[in-house]
Amino acid sequence: MGKKRFSRRQFLKIAGSGSLAVAAGGLGGAIASPKWVWGATPAVKGPIKIGYQAILSGTLAGYGEFHKLGVVMAVEEINAKGGIAGQKVEMEFRDSTTKADEAIKNARYFVDSWGADYLGGIDSSGQALALAPVMAQLDRVLMVTHAATEKLTEDFVYKQGVKQIFRICMPTYNDGNAAAFIAKDFPAVKWSTVSPKYEYGFTCWKMFQETLKKVKPDAQFVAESWAPFGTTDFRSHINTIMDAKPDGLYSTEWAGELISFVKQAKEAGLFEKVQYVMLPVGAAMDVLEGLGKDMPDNIWISARYFFQYPNSKENTDWVARFYKRWNHYPAYVSETGYSAIYAYKAAVEKAGSKDTKAVVAALEGMEMDSPAGRRVFRKEDHQAIYDVPWGKTKTDPKYPFKVMGETKVIPAKEYFNRPPFEGPGTSPPFK
Amino acid sequence: MQSFVHVCLAGLSNGMFIWLVASGLTLIFGVLGVLNFAHGSFYMLGAYCCFTVLKHLGAGYWAGLLLGPLAVCAAGFVVERFFLRHVYRIALPYQLLLTFAFVLIFDNLVKIVWGGGALSAPSLAFLGGSIQVLGRKYPVYNLFIIAVGPAVALGLYLLLERTWSGRIVRAASSDREMASAIGVRVPALFTGVFVFGTWLGALGGGLAVPYVGLLTPGMGETIIIEAFIVAVIGGLGSLKGAFVGALVIGVMSAFGTRFFPTFDMFLIFILMAGVLLVRPEGLFGGAR
Repeated sequence: MGKKRFSRRQFLKIAGSGSLAVAAGGLGGAIASPKWVWGATPAVKGPIKIGYQAILSGTLAGYGEFHKLGVVMAVEEINAKGGIAGQKVEMEFRDSTTKADEAIKNARYFVDSWGADYLGGIDSSGQALALAPVMAQLDRVLMVTHAATEKLTEDFVYKQGVKQIFRICMPTYNDGNAAAFIAKDFPAVKWSTVSPKYEYGFTCWKMFQETLKKVKPDAQFVAESWAPFGTTDFRSHINTIMDAKPDGLYSTEWAGELISFVKQAKEAGLFEKVQYVMLPVGAAMDVLEGLGKDMPDNIWISARYFFQYPNSKENTDWVARFYKRWNHYPAYVSETGYSAIYAYKAAVEKAGSKDTKAVVAALEGMEMDSPAGRRVFRKEDHQAIYDVPWGKTKTDPKYPFKVMGETKVIPAKEYFNRPPFEGPGTSPPFK
Repeated sequence: MQSFVHVCLAGLSNGMFIWLVASGLTLIFGVLGVLNFAHGSFYMLGAYCCFTVLKHLGAGYWAGLLLGPLAVCAAGFVVERFFLRHVYRIALPYQLLLTFAFVLIFDNLVKIVWGGGALSAPSLAFLGGSIQVLGRKYPVYNLFIIAVGPAVALGLYLLLERTWSGRIVRAASSDREMASAIGVRVPALFTGVFVFGTWLGALGGGLAVPYVGLLTPGMGETIIIEAFIVAVIGGLGSLKGAFVGALVIGVMSAFGTRFFPTFDMFLIFILMAGVLLVRPEGLFGGAR
């Protein structure tokens, strides 16, 4: 396949988009047509290489696989329709493990040895924070699809100006701020937590407490128990919570550890004693499917994306396509991975260039439609703003797992922290 | 009081898993002189094989617990007979490297066969209920776990101290050459001990299926570290030491989590460092 070859498909596509641009120009007058359409040689030279890393080994190996399903599907679809700006997309997938130095090694390999144009993935908050300065050095865009710590976008992108980082997934604002907004309407006053003993767990609990105290001044925080990464036995943690006799339990345990925790808590009768339970990442598909009937009813759950929301044609079609392709409902990292590739497509085609600077500029403020709904990349901190649901678990005979019954959706702009991220008026509730 | 008792129970059951893994580790080290990193993998394989029997062959959990670990013994046999046997005579680091290679091989094997995602174990029918202990629910199965540990310890004691084959094992472990001179087939004996040690680890894994409720490809990694700590505290090669050590570590970490949450991990390592300073050979390691 010579690079100069001009296929019929490409010709039609260019001719098509050209005439479309002409039509749009004729109608709107002000819409500029993409430059590359008119050039003799395309400004974007292919292939477009995307290096993606996620956890593929150890206890969280399933997450990498879920990322892969979404990313592979996006690349297949895009290549079948002529690629990005007429160029084929190539992807390499690597195991990030959970260690920061491994993530950095992968990023360097992708850029220096493999020649990646863009990077994506990253599950761990710790890894994301360690990678930020490296991405500035390598000068390549990294689209984070899972790591959630708000420090990544607030501190590195906004305060330190690392322009190469974007995040397409929901940050901890949903786990902390939105959870507090939901919790304020419960009669529960005494709150407790069992959460991961690392960055993600600490930052969420802190945010939840701070916001809840603002919207419900009589809230008390009576017990906290921190489970290190790899905990399989939560029984002592469960005892800590039950001894404190709280009204509410908030837990950012996730993936397999959340499955173990819920099962063991159920055995100990915790859900009979504690009435209000909130699991900010409890609506992850691996958790719902893993627990099946063992997930109690009336637990408040959320996630970075849940396949039943939004009830739009784009989402339902995508879920159906995904199910047909993989025989599986999409996990939230499948959605964020899928949408990340489309975000790159939109940005490169908008910029008319592969150049990092141009793509960063194109991504800033960019709006895109995705299965999770409309996303807007906030210019200041490169965080995608979109809505996700909170819902109460219920049994539905249509599914072999619990789904959301009563659902509440708080618009993201009401609970996302706002630039400049310190001082009054930067964290919710907003007047 | 209620909390104290429940934390004790959690610690005891936790200690029993560590004991089951540490006992195989200790036995293999005591007799073969090999520090087997892959022992955690046998724990993992035991869980996965047990899961497969109970889920796909339609048999119940108890059939899985019986057959799963037996299947893992085949893996133990292959590792010893075709690989480890060739490195007994060379330096210890090579043995460690070889067993570590098997950790990676088995982790990936599990991912290929069972997939990378977590598998959730179905709840038990028999022994699946719970009782009230001082006004708080406690699963009956966990009591069973607490009973299995001492039963295995007693069985091992009787086997090693009271039977003919136990006597041969002890003879071979204290003087390999002399045993071989008087007609003990040492290589076959080593294979037998290794396979038996494998079974102990795999049994621990099988028992963990309903206790943890979840199977993941890296599940052997945490427990092997705890088992090593236990083996060091108790004295490398001493089964009595491993039993006491496992109980101490299990109960201490449960109490640490509940009552000194800031130091929970720290406590165990401090204990290990303390024991190594005062008694470098471990609590019960003096005899060897």
